[in-house]
Amino acid sequence: MYTIQRTYVKHEMKMAGLIFENPTLLLMMEHFDLGISSIQDKSIQQICTDNGISLQVYISFANLYNGFIPTGDEFKSKDELLSIIKFLSRSHQYYKNEKYPEIRGYISQLYANNEAEIIKLIEKFFDEYFSEVLEHLGYEDSIAFPYFNAIIESSIRVSTADNPFSANDYREHHTDIESKLFELKNLFIKHLSLKGDRSIHRKLLYSLFELEHDLNIHSLIEDTILVPLVREIERSRGIV
Amino acid sequence: MCLWFVKLKGVEALSRSSSNIAIVESSQIVYEGLVNILIKSHQHYQLYRFDSIEEISATRINCKIDVIIVNPSLIQFNSKDCNTLKRINSSVHWVALVYSFYGKDILSQFDEIIQISDTSESINQNLSKLINSTPVEIESSQKEQLSERETDVLVQLVHGLSNKEIADKLNISIHTVMSHRKNISQKTGIKSQSGLTIYAISNKIISLDSLAL
Repeated sequence: MYTIQRTYVKHEMKMAGLIFENPTLLLMMEHFDLGISSIQDKSIQQICTDNGISLQVYISFANLYNGFIPTGDEFKSKDELLSIIKFLSRSHQYYKNEKYPEIRGYISQLYANNEAEIIKLIEKFFDEYFSEVLEHLGYEDSIAFPYFNAIIESSIRVSTADNPFSANDYREHHTDIESKLFELKNLFIKHLSLKGDRSIHRKLLYSLFELEHDLNIHSLIEDTILVPLVREIERSRGIV
Repeated sequence: MCLWFVKLKGVEALSRSSSNIAIVESSQIVYEGLVNILIKSHQHYQLYRFDSIEEISATRINCKIDVIIVNPSLIQFNSKDCNTLKRINSSVHWVALVYSFYGKDILSQFDEIIQISDTSESINQNLSKLINSTPVEIESSQKEQLSERETDVLVQLVHGLSNKEIADKLNISIHTVMSHRKNISQKTGIKSQSGLTIYAISNKIISLDSLAL
C-alpha cells in the first residue's frame, strides 16, 4: 500500500497548503533563496511578486517537485532562463556545503560498530564519488553556466571553436553521478549488513535518498529544459 | 509537443513500478471514497486529481498516465479534448465513474466502468486487470546470487585485471567476460571497480589481505 496524492500547482494556491502536502517544496524554496518566513498565508503568485521570482519558473519547478514534468517550451524570456540558472547554482551550494558533508559525517560514524577496513573502503568510494561530483559542479559553475549566461544576456555570436560546452559530456556526467549514488544505496541496503546504531543507518540512507531526489530533479531541469533552450538560442544565432 | 512517452530518468526514478492514475471527479465525497478504495488495493498507485479533462491536456503532465478515471458528465460536452488525449496517448485506459444515467454511446467509449454501487473488491480487481493487460516491462526477478564463474570474474576484476587479461586467465572469450560482467552488475546493482571491491570483501569473496591497497 503506497499512495501519493499530489496537487498540480497553480498560481492562486496557498504555498503553506502545498508544503503540508509535500515538504520537499521547502528545499525547492531554498533553491529560490526563500525561507520559511516568506510563506505565511501567501499564494504562490504573491510570493513570486514579493520576491521578484518568475511565476512561470516557480510554478513549473513546484510541479516538478510534485512529480509533474514540464516540457520546457513554456520558458522563453531572458529573465526566466537566468532565474533557472540561478536556481541551479544555488542547489549546487546545497549539495556541496550541506548534503555531501552530512552523508560523509554519517559514514564516519559507522566506524564505531563495523569493521574499520570496510568502512575505510566505503569512505574511499564516497570521497572519489564526491570529488567527481565537485568536478562536475565546478565545470557547471565555471564553464557551462557562465557560457549560458553570456549567450542569454547578449546577442554576441560565439564561434563554434570558442564554444566550451558540450551537451553530451554534460548528460554523461549526470548519468555517472546518478549511477554511483545507486551503487552506494545498493551497498548499504543489500550487501553490507551494517551493525550498530540503527538511527545512524536510517539517517544515512534518508540523506542519500534526499540527495538523489534533488539531483534527479536537478539534472532533469538541466537536460530537458535548460540545455534544449540554450541549443535553440545557439541555433537561432547560427552557432551550431 | 508532448513528452508523454519520453522516458525521463527522473520520472523513472520517481515512479518506477507504480501506475499513474488521473482522477477527474468534482465531488469531494466521491473522490475521497474512491481514493480510499484504491489505497485498500495494496497496489502501488500514484494518484493525481484534476478538475477537468482540459486540465490534463493543458498541463501536459508528462509522467506517464496509465489510467484516467473520469466522471462522464465532465466529458460529455467536451469530447474534443477527450479525443485529443486519446490520440496523443493511446495506451491510456479510460475508466468511467458512473453514478447517474448515461447512454450506451457514451459508456461504450470507455475501457472499463466503475458503478457507484460496485464493491471495493470488484473495483480493484477490474482496475488491476486493466492495468496488467498492458504488456509491461517485466523486471527480472532472477536470483541475485552470483554463479561460480561470475564470482571468478569478479575476483579478477577486483584485482584490477582488464577484460582481456581475465579472458586469458580463465580461458574464456572476451565476449564471455563481458557478459559475466553485465550479469554481475545486474545482480549486485554495482558497476564500478571500487564498489565491487567493497561488495566482494563484505561478502567474504576475497580477503582484504589479498588486495594490495
